[in-house]
Amino acid sequence: MICALCRTELFEVDSFLQFFGLVKTEGKELCYSCQSGFEIIGSDCCPDCGRQQVNRQKCYDCQRWQYQQKPSLHHRALYKYNDAMRSFMQQYKFTGDYMLRKIFNRQLIQLVHNTNMDLVVPIPVSQYTMRTRGFNQVTGMLEGIQLTNALQVISVKKRQQSNLNRNDRMKRKQLFDIQDSTLIIGKSILLVDDVYTTGSTLHCAAELLISCGAVSVKSVSLAR
Amino acid sequence: MNDDYFYGRQIVQPKTESTKRNVNEAFIGTMCQRCGQNDIEKLPKKHFYCKACIMLGRVSSLDNLVSLPEPNQFSGQTELTWQGQLTTQQKQVSDTLLKVLSQRRTHLVWAVTGAGKTEMLFPVIYKALNQKLRVAIISPRIDVIVELAPRIQAAFEKTDIVVLHGNQVEQYRYTQLVLATTHQMLRFYRAFDLLIVDEIDSFPFAGDKMLAYAVNKAKKVNSALIYLTATPTTTLRKQLGKTLTASYLPLRFHQHLLPELKVKLVNNWRKRLPRKVEQQIKELIQLKRQFLIFLPRVADLKPLYQKLNKIFPEIKSDYVYAADPQRQAKVQKMRDGEIQYLMTTTILERGVTFPGIDVLILGADDKVFSENALVQIAGRVGRSVTRPYGLVLAYVQHINLKVLAAQKQIMTMNRRGRAVKYKSKPDSMVIESEKL
Ligand SMILES: [Zn+2]
Ligand SMILES: [Zn+2]
Ligand SMILES: [Zn+2]
Repeated sequence: MICALCRTELFEVDSFLQFFGLVKTEGKELCYSCQSGFEIIGSDCCPDCGRQQVNRQKCYDCQRWQYQQKPSLHHRALYKYNDAMRSFMQQYKFTGDYMLRKIFNRQLIQLVHNTNMDLVVPIPVSQYTMRTRGFNQVTGMLEGIQLTNALQVISVKKRQQSNLNRNDRMKRKQLFDIQDSTLIIGKSILLVDDVYTTGSTLHCAAELLISCGAVSVKSVSLAR
Repeated sequence: MNDDYFYGRQIVQPKTESTKRNVNEAFIGTMCQRCGQNDIEKLPKKHFYCKACIMLGRVSSLDNLVSLPEPNQFSGQTELTWQGQLTTQQKQVSDTLLKVLSQRRTHLVWAVTGAGKTEMLFPVIYKALNQKLRVAIISPRIDVIVELAPRIQAAFEKTDIVVLHGNQVEQYRYTQLVLATTHQMLRFYRAFDLLIVDEIDSFPFAGDKMLAYAVNKAKKVNSALIYLTATPTTTLRKQLGKTLTASYLPLRFHQHLLPELKVKLVNNWRKRLPRKVEQQIKELIQLKRQFLIFLPRVADLKPLYQKLNKIFPEIKSDYVYAADPQRQAKVQKMRDGEIQYLMTTTILERGVTFPGIDVLILGADDKVFSENALVQIAGRVGRSVTRPYGLVLAYVQHINLKVLAAQKQIMTMNRRGRAVKYKSKPDSMVIESEKL
């Protein structure tokens, strides 16, 4: 048996197992040192972006979003985006080890279920990513719940074309489009992404959803 | 990417990327063509990927395997910069290997620990390089490759060598001589005219079908394959003289026999340190000997380290295990004589040599010490010309068959060694397989 993440033989570290008990997450075995690398974000966090803090005040970045008149996403994340999470993402997303979707599956679904909403909308990946990686990392981790794939990534080609036709700044900045807005009209929506880094992806998607008729948009992610 | 990146290789490329090079399907049915295993995990839309070889990056049904045939684009100009001399026995094996190369055969060299098997390889490597052949030296163990690399480079100073293993980031270059872990062979395709597998019995190669597939795929159809081992597995031993020829070298380069394994019965040593052990360690300390203490589990290391530190506070020591970030540094401290003794798990059973040490194995009856592991551990002792002997003490709570088998294996090798040592005819210095 090997650790699903670092692939060290659990045989070699079985002293750890004796000490701490075999760590089991969703049928995926993780060695003790991998498991202990993930840092849960506590209740002291920024109310707008879910960043781990020492207090519950709006963080500097979110003050700037507010200044730009972007509505708050009331974002929540499960874990800090630290080295352990970075190497998890590296293996799951970039190496494409789809099996790892199971590691945080239950916890992420729980976070989704703790939020009030009508629809769960995952941040999409591009056509190119689907043809090479073969999966959307967000939908993978949410396996088992009903999702509404309301958003598509605008292809780079299309984006350039639309710039030629209309010099619409809003459109050029927009990463996504919506094929069927009847799905979302009048709904409160929970956006899900894998990692919240600057927040611009989620704000971008939220803006589009609101402009197409959604009543409210919140968001969650695995890491922040 | 230049063409030479693809010579004799199998590179994973998304099907969306077009190429003029040779393209192969990554899977036949669900069998991965890179590693030969049927161990897939599903992706959405009926796609899938191979779980077995994902540590080398993913191969999926969305990918192709791209390659170019090995053109042997080498100058053939090389120099053997090694100045040493082979012993008569080493020379005899080395000559056999030259024949193995010209006949493109498979051959096993069964040489006891400390026989100097690396040196025996130099002539055959030299000949192959000269003939513009592509050569790889591989081992299942990273430690073995790391230890081997500078020695091979020193012997062929003018030859460009690429060293490939999982713990390093050296970029792949097209070179005539390649040093790599066995895993890395999965990325090659009919590349090597001469493939040498060192420590073939060592974990995780033994019994690993995937790595056997890798070796088979990485060598050319018409090529020479040399296996090296001090402790062949039973499967390998069964093939001897049937499907596999072998040279058996039972004597160390300095012509002395292997130190024999002495077995001592003790009480539960985890509970309290047995008097016998303490006494022995005290003696070694007074004699100013350096020694290794092998322990079955990582969890055994620290408690013993603390106990011994209490008893011998003025003596410097340390402990080391596989995942220890200080591993290399601690081994170096031992080598430099900064510490008098080092406690370790089986990770130091092979590949690492300290010249004049003694060895204690506490809990030698534990299941982590296989017969071959015990023979390898005993082989750490008596490696230098100045001290070709030494102590190998196995402390057990119960005598078991495995410990006895290890003892017997060493005695058998010594019997053969003695036969070689006291025969004057040079042609009987090495036992060729038909006589085994
Ligand atoms: Zn791990
Ligand atoms: Zn914030
Ligand atoms: Zn594979």
